[in-house]
Amino acid sequence: MLRFEQVSKSYPGGFVALDRVSFELQKGEMAFLTGHSGAGKSTMLKLISLIERPSAGRVVINGIDLSGIRSGQIPYVRRDIGMIFQDHRLLMNHTVFDNVALPLVIEGFTGRDMARRVHAALDQVGLLDKARCLPATLSGGEAQRVGIARAVVNKPPLLLADEPTGNLDPDLSKDIMRVFEAFNQAGVSVLVASHDLGLIARMRYRTMTLKSGKMINDGLLHSEDAE
Amino acid sequence: MSILFNGRASGASDSAPGLVQRFLMGIVGHLRQAVSSLGELWRSPVWTFVTIAVLGISMTLPATLHVLVKNLQQVSSSYDQSFEISLFLKNDITETDIATLVTLLQGDKEVAKVRLIDKAAAMAEFKQESGFGEAIKFLDQNPLPDVLLVTPTQSQPAAAEALLNKLQKERFVELAKLDISWLERLAAIMSLVQQVVYTIAALLLCGALLVIGNTIRLLIMDKKAEIEVMKLVGATDSFIQRPFLYTGIWLGVFGGFLAFLVIELMLYWLRGAIANVTQLYQSGFVLNVLTLKEFGLLMAIAVSLGLVGSYLAVRSHIKAIEPS
Repeated sequence: MLRFEQVSKSYPGGFVALDRVSFELQKGEMAFLTGHSGAGKSTMLKLISLIERPSAGRVVINGIDLSGIRSGQIPYVRRDIGMIFQDHRLLMNHTVFDNVALPLVIEGFTGRDMARRVHAALDQVGLLDKARCLPATLSGGEAQRVGIARAVVNKPPLLLADEPTGNLDPDLSKDIMRVFEAFNQAGVSVLVASHDLGLIARMRYRTMTLKSGKMINDGLLHSEDAE
Repeated sequence: MSILFNGRASGASDSAPGLVQRFLMGIVGHLRQAVSSLGELWRSPVWTFVTIAVLGISMTLPATLHVLVKNLQQVSSSYDQSFEISLFLKNDITETDIATLVTLLQGDKEVAKVRLIDKAAAMAEFKQESGFGEAIKFLDQNPLPDVLLVTPTQSQPAAAEALLNKLQKERFVELAKLDISWLERLAAIMSLVQQVVYTIAALLLCGALLVIGNTIRLLIMDKKAEIEVMKLVGATDSFIQRPFLYTGIWLGVFGGFLAFLVIELMLYWLRGAIANVTQLYQSGFVLNVLTLKEFGLLMAIAVSLGLVGSYLAVRSHIKAIEPS
């Protein structure tokens, strides 16, 4: 499903954000990506969503090498990947409904068809009653769940989350993680970057640890130990 | 269609049943974006107003000059009709020859009217007008030639000159004369004015283009965060730029209409003053206003300026905004 092959990323000035990282995420698998800030978690997600390109190595999704994707095709690739951000990146002067509908509008959906899908997505994150609210009136956890609804509204096969619980207290964080679990159980591949080690340990999923751009631990063994 | 996942239905077009429905959806989408761009303009009224004013004024000046030139041409063309070619005939020709020549000229489609002033009539007129009556009595014979006054059908100086050259070669004609130098000068001045109008218009419209581009650039910068999010969830550049292009079109529509209003008001205001003058000169001059076709052209130019200005801004700035 998602495969990194000896991927390196260095920035002008010599900073190496990723150093020969390899791993594979299976279809329908859920995994965590952890490490201190600056360890390369965000860089990895940016390489998947084509915000950045690798300096060396290959990023392959579903057998397709991303280096072959032209810049004009990037929007279409992103439609296959649901992305969730720490600061949720909602459009503050549009309603919750409009925010969740955005990916559908971009793909040309209109009217009842679009409304049905938006309501389904809001229902999945438990915010159906907030559809007409503006994001400013929502709590942090609610705003993050709107971000998740937007990421899943067009049913992407792959979900990426970058520190989705970074600004939330432990209880809300657990709720958010449960939402990811639910999507994973519906067959979506999920990759969550987080440095909330306590929460991750309790979740018992495969955990990959980055340190200074190197993969120092791929927690497949870890989770087997736990079971 | 999905690039990464073969067979994954993505986008409304994949689930829409027919071509017609897809087409209708496209039209509905465009209409919605056009309307929402109009609403977007209301959100920054000051910049919108300034841009519309700049565009309107930039269009008003050349359009006014155009109306002015048009009216001047109307005035000068009424003078054009008053010129005639004088044909001084040879002294040794008979009356039959003259009659033949008159018939010949009347048959020419470049000639509107021919009038004969024969020797005797010319002499009588000269005696009466010049005051040399007594002196002329001492002449043995009438020294004046027969004269034909020819009015050309076409009133342009160039056409008249061509006719003059043709008539000059006639067998019985001693000398053909046409005083068109002042007409030529007038025509030259008119075309100079026209050139100046076009140059000023081009410069003003370039300025308007830059102002529109700048306004759109400000709108884009204002929505930088929103554009980043749209790119992250898979919006193409053309999808993101479409509302800004509509904004440019709206600016053009309003700017063009403002120019039209200003010109009409100005002409309405001038009409009273001109009526006074024409009454004093007892002339039948009627002030020309913008025709429907010219109004259409004005709007078309304004809208294309809006579109081109916003396109230039959108092309460079939207590509430059990338999520990080």
